[in-house]
Amino acid sequence: MRLLISTGSWSMFIGRSHPLLVHLPIGILIIAFILTLLARREKWRHLRSALPTVLLAAALSAIFSCITGYLLSLDGGYEEKLLQTHKYLGIGVAVISILLYLLERNHQRFPRLQLPAALLMVLLLSAAGHYGGSLTHGDDYLTQAMPAPLKKLSGIQGPVNTVAYTNIGDARLYEDLVQPVLANRCYGCHNEQKLKGGLRLESIALIRKGGEHGPVLKDSLPEESELFKRLLLPEEDEHRMPPKGKPSVTPQELELLHWWIATGAPAGKTVKELDKTPRIMAVLEGMQPATPLDKQEFVPDESVSAGSADKIAALEAKGLKVMPVGTGSHYLMIDGINAAGFSDRDISLLTGLKEQLIWVDLSGTAITDSAFAVLGQLKKLTRLDLRRTAIKGNGMGALNNCRELRYLNLAGTAVTPEGFLALQQNKKLQQVYVYEAGIAPATLRQLQQALPKLKIDTGGYRLQQLASDTMIYHKVSS
Amino acid sequence: MTKHARLIKEANDQTLRYFTRRHFLMDCVKGLGAAAFTSFLASCGSSGKTLLDVAGNPMAPRVPQFPARAKSVIYLHMAGAPSQLELFDYKPALQKLHNQLCPPSLLEGKKFAFIRGVPKMLGPQAVFAQHGESRAWISDHLPHFATMADDVSFLKAVQTDQFNHGPAQLLMQTGSARLGRPSIGSWVTYGLGSENDNLPGFVVLTSGGKTPDAGKSVWGSGFLPSVYQGVQCRTKGEPVLYLTDPEGMSRDLRRESINAINEINKQEYATFGDPETLSRISQYELAYKMQISVPEVMNINKEPDYIHEMYGTQPGKESFANNCLLARKLVEKGVRFVQLYDWGWDSHGTDENLAIDYGFRNKCREIDRPITALLQDLKQRGLLDETLVIWGGEFGRTPMQENRDGKDMPFLGRDHHVEAFTMWMAGAGIKKGFSYGETDEIGYAAVKGKVAINDIHATILQQLGFDHEKLTFQFQGRPFRLTDTGGKVITPILS
Repeated sequence: MRLLISTGSWSMFIGRSHPLLVHLPIGILIIAFILTLLARREKWRHLRSALPTVLLAAALSAIFSCITGYLLSLDGGYEEKLLQTHKYLGIGVAVISILLYLLERNHQRFPRLQLPAALLMVLLLSAAGHYGGSLTHGDDYLTQAMPAPLKKLSGIQGPVNTVAYTNIGDARLYEDLVQPVLANRCYGCHNEQKLKGGLRLESIALIRKGGEHGPVLKDSLPEESELFKRLLLPEEDEHRMPPKGKPSVTPQELELLHWWIATGAPAGKTVKELDKTPRIMAVLEGMQPATPLDKQEFVPDESVSAGSADKIAALEAKGLKVMPVGTGSHYLMIDGINAAGFSDRDISLLTGLKEQLIWVDLSGTAITDSAFAVLGQLKKLTRLDLRRTAIKGNGMGALNNCRELRYLNLAGTAVTPEGFLALQQNKKLQQVYVYEAGIAPATLRQLQQALPKLKIDTGGYRLQQLASDTMIYHKVSS
Repeated sequence: MTKHARLIKEANDQTLRYFTRRHFLMDCVKGLGAAAFTSFLASCGSSGKTLLDVAGNPMAPRVPQFPARAKSVIYLHMAGAPSQLELFDYKPALQKLHNQLCPPSLLEGKKFAFIRGVPKMLGPQAVFAQHGESRAWISDHLPHFATMADDVSFLKAVQTDQFNHGPAQLLMQTGSARLGRPSIGSWVTYGLGSENDNLPGFVVLTSGGKTPDAGKSVWGSGFLPSVYQGVQCRTKGEPVLYLTDPEGMSRDLRRESINAINEINKQEYATFGDPETLSRISQYELAYKMQISVPEVMNINKEPDYIHEMYGTQPGKESFANNCLLARKLVEKGVRFVQLYDWGWDSHGTDENLAIDYGFRNKCREIDRPITALLQDLKQRGLLDETLVIWGGEFGRTPMQENRDGKDMPFLGRDHHVEAFTMWMAGAGIKKGFSYGETDEIGYAAVKGKVAINDIHATILQQLGFDHEKLTFQFQGRPFRLTDTGGKVITPILS
């Protein structure tokens, strides 16, 4: 939706050329470094004459990279600390490139400074490049892709598992909740290779074994267990875990560890099997994986190709509103509110979009039973509204092909029992509205028996007349 | 310095400009400044520009950000703020404290609109019972609504920070206690447009004899183009003022004159590009169409008798019941946002009409049938499924009895209360038969499941298919949104 997209700006636009521009100084400086090294040999001395030009190009491109980088950083969304490091290193690269250029031009005066400066430049360049990469791809971009043997070699532990439960009550306390915490915060040092303090934490057995200073776990007593106690120490304390400089355990993770130890450090137990304190309930509540807010059962999970713009335009020419159900989705909804004249003559236009149409509202239009043959082709249809139309239900059996149909509104129609009962095959149907459709109770019962979960709303609600409805409260004047 | 020397200096400067890094760096700085300046200029431009993309019709229906659960909203605002303690928030402990002096702990550091000194506690002035399978507490003031307990989600711990009607209503309806922000209905129609080409997208209906204290700003469009402001329809006399043709002007002549005006406006727009000109064009068009469509939809005479009986409507009168029936009709016709205001809920106990034990009960009777009928009527038509219904006031009422100026009042009354009050929502993907949030045992403070006003706004937008953080409008150099800097979708009440 164009309406909602924030507008761009020059600074943002120029800033975003940074990832492109930044590779120029990198390449040029590396060439300059190679040339500098080669030119030290007599045989390659003539290369020296290329250096001023190359270094000038490097310095200029480095300066432009700094400017665009600065503009890009205004865009926001980067980790501040990492960004600062990258910024100063980048400026450093620009400064040293200028310096190298000036040194080259005054070669006679400082012949000995050139090589050290060039080496420093390579260091700065590598560091700036590394942090730049971490900024855009995240600092575990490379290590994540590392093959397992190499990972083991370099002592990197990946996260044990991601969220493996859909309901927090079904999560296993140790395997699904505690182990990932230990893996993220502790395994780095307490593993087979590193074995800090002689302690390994990769399994319950190893945790129980403890380290060179004795056991770390005291059953059901978290406050007396080193595994928990040390997490609470002030950051300056040398016994604190994780040590200073390493990311600390979050309050939520602390509560989980506390609860796990308090319940006797069980293995394989699920959350719902264990006793819960109000404190841990609050933590667990927050860990319930949210069903994504933009998902709903009336929209299929699988994606679909875009409907033809011509076919959409043809329907809109008949007064129907045809729109995607959401931005970025190709599934379509139809609304006939302004198209009272839409009739069987035009209904076949729907077949061109039979893959995309999922919500069809033709209430109050002029369609009749011949529409069913076309509606039955809309395989993905989940909502169908035929309120106040002249349909009678002949050929309604065609709707059985709409296997995903969940909502059907027949209010104010004169649908026949035969047509109505044809819905027995629509197993996913959840709601049917037959208010003012005059369907006999026996017919309703028959469909209800065939589809026990279906909610049939016959409407016609009446409110009781209560004495209080007309009572007016007054202070009795005495 | 001689002229000659100056010339030489200039020449030297010129040469330096070409060669020295100082000048080079200086130029770089200028370039940077220029780049920043252009972005600054861009943000000063006419903010409504992006709206022009919508094919010239600002009310054309638009695609939500993700598939929506709600197509329409009916918001029932009880202006003056009804007492939650007589309707939904049952506090037997408060009964025990009835007529005792309020403990100082509840008063220290607190400000009230009217309570001064030490007031007495006021026990619930209603008989409560649990209803439906959800066992929701509802008082005998709402005997019909009690049958709907299993269709709604209660929010028992809503909080606000404004204890006067005007600002509190503004906060509830626009997200800000100060004037100038667009109302919820304006944001919704700005985001989604409206389905029916012949009716306004945002309709306001009032009852109770007065408009809300905050005035028409509660349905204003603020900084959004004025085409998105609420259209107030009246149930007595002409539904929309000045809509009928004046004497001596035929409908054809009116068409001709509107055509001419629109033609001039289009030229105006081509020259100046002001989005308000587009608003004006579409408003002329809509007004012309509304001459036919509005009297039709606003006419409740054709409804069958049993519908009138259900709502308790009396055609031709200005009443909340009539407005509820109209709300259903409007939503059925594809109106996006229907806002009802019912005035008269400010039960201070200053007179009989504003007494908790008299006037308040009469107000409850006036809304009980219509609200129940509205929910059931929407339900039987299959519309509750795609219509979000919201009920509430702008704040709640104190568990203490009001003692204006430190004196006893002639009637029982409660003062304005901001720390906890009850609202409910129903339909369109809201859980059925659910209650969220709790207050302490006397109903003074929220203790669990607290809900802020912008949480409610976020939830409304969510059900309509919008991430409240992404429905924004660029104004005064920054993007604005309904939930301002806050708002969290109340996920526990979503089904």
